[in-house]
Amino acid sequence: MNLNEIVDMLWGILHSTGIYHFQFKFLIMWAIGFLFIYLAIVKKFEPLLLLPIGFGIFIVNFPLVPLMGFSHGHRELIQIFYHYGLEWEVLPCIIFLGLGVLTDFGPLIANPKTLLIGAGAQLGVFITFTGTVLAGFTLKEAASVGIIGGADGPTTIYLTQHLAPQLLGPNALAAYSYMAMVPLIQPPIMKLLTTEEERKIKMKQLRAVSKREKILFPLVASIIIALLVPSVIPLMGMFMLGNLMKESGVVGRLSDTAQGALMNIATIFLGVSVGATMYADNFLSWKPLFIFTLGLLDFAVCTAGGILTVKIMNLFLKEKINPLIGSAGVSAVPMAARVSQFMGQKYDKTNYLLMHAMGPNLAGVIGSAAAAGMFIAMFD
Amino acid sequence: MKEIKVIVFLFLLIPAISWSSDFLGLPIPTDSKIILKNKGRLEFETDMNHDQCLRYYKDVLKDAKDIKIREWKSVTYIEDDGKLPWHSITISKNIPHKTLIVIVKDNWTWIMGTLLLRYIGVFVVLIVLYISMSIAGSIASKLLKDKE
Repeated sequence: MNLNEIVDMLWGILHSTGIYHFQFKFLIMWAIGFLFIYLAIVKKFEPLLLLPIGFGIFIVNFPLVPLMGFSHGHRELIQIFYHYGLEWEVLPCIIFLGLGVLTDFGPLIANPKTLLIGAGAQLGVFITFTGTVLAGFTLKEAASVGIIGGADGPTTIYLTQHLAPQLLGPNALAAYSYMAMVPLIQPPIMKLLTTEEERKIKMKQLRAVSKREKILFPLVASIIIALLVPSVIPLMGMFMLGNLMKESGVVGRLSDTAQGALMNIATIFLGVSVGATMYADNFLSWKPLFIFTLGLLDFAVCTAGGILTVKIMNLFLKEKINPLIGSAGVSAVPMAARVSQFMGQKYDKTNYLLMHAMGPNLAGVIGSAAAAGMFIAMFD
Repeated sequence: MKEIKVIVFLFLLIPAISWSSDFLGLPIPTDSKIILKNKGRLEFETDMNHDQCLRYYKDVLKDAKDIKIREWKSVTYIEDDGKLPWHSITISKNIPHKTLIVIVKDNWTWIMGTLLLRYIGVFVVLIVLYISMSIAGSIASKLLKDKE
């Protein structure tokens, strides 16, 4: 073996490493990945999601890594999670099953008029749709960007996968980022749209809800949703199944699995798969950056929509509703309800809004699913 | 050789003769009788039957993304959800010996109208749920009272 052959061999080895193919754009993506990991670990913002998403962004942004492509005609590791979990729309539905088990619809059943707040809070979804079309997105892309304001991660993923899969990464990331930042985004808007007097409104304690009502609710809700917006029944059906499992009290083992191990497994694969869609070539363009900017506006308008809906309702109601619970109409459960509680206590230490805010919060979950169903019906 | 060139030239002209004009990038048959034409809408009649028209427009749009075709009782409705300059083509089904075709330009009236309706739709879904819950709640309470 002569020197030339040795040099060729070394050159060949260098070619097969990531070092030779490394580009600056990967460093930018690493920075974004690290930011998410930092927010998860240090700031504790939605760590269950932001950590796997951040790592997913980081790990796919190396040259030649066999994670999101095809090798010898076979899907690579994360591509398998992505294909069967997201493209087949399985993971968002499994997460909704677990969320259903974790959800107590009592506050919503006790005060069903808060359902209207959940509808009002979808205002941003429709306004953002218009802005996105103006920016040159297609109608399907606009719908998938609009739903970010509903602040419901699984619904955003479900709709985006259905209508504009090419935007899955940025949309999911924007939705989860803004959900994590609810305590930062909402308070200024709440303050801006309410008077001090309104913030101090005390609401009557909610009535007790019987077990029978709680068992009946997921069945009634399933019938209505299946009849009116059938396209979202994979999501909402699983949500209501989870809730029925919990409220019935007869399938404890299933409930434990759905809200524990199963949901955790789904969350790991969902987070990593979403993060892994953020390959530098896909992400470093104007569209994802625009989605992030518009997503923030969307979220703000949805928050405002919920508050304004309460103010309109108060014009007709004898027993006034505290408009601070309107912001919980976006469906970031239970973070948005906690923000209402925090803001209420800031102005009156004896004012407990948490349970009242859970009503619109849960209505927001149903409202954003209904909005998603409207969009799917529009394009399918 | 000269004759062949003339024949080839004429052959190339055939599409231009048959589909000489267009509206928003969509071809219109020359035998068409235009009923209404403005910036946003074109209505015309053609002697071709419904199936021929549908086949033709399917062929024209075979490479277009985001096209959906809906079969309704009296019309076939072709809609573009992408970036083409037109919004819809409606092809009539039940008019004897002719077919009425309507092409509508992309317009904000449609977008805003459909968005408003769908926003109202979200309210309708939740209001129906609200009413159902109120009824179910009052029945449940009544049953409980009776039991007590």
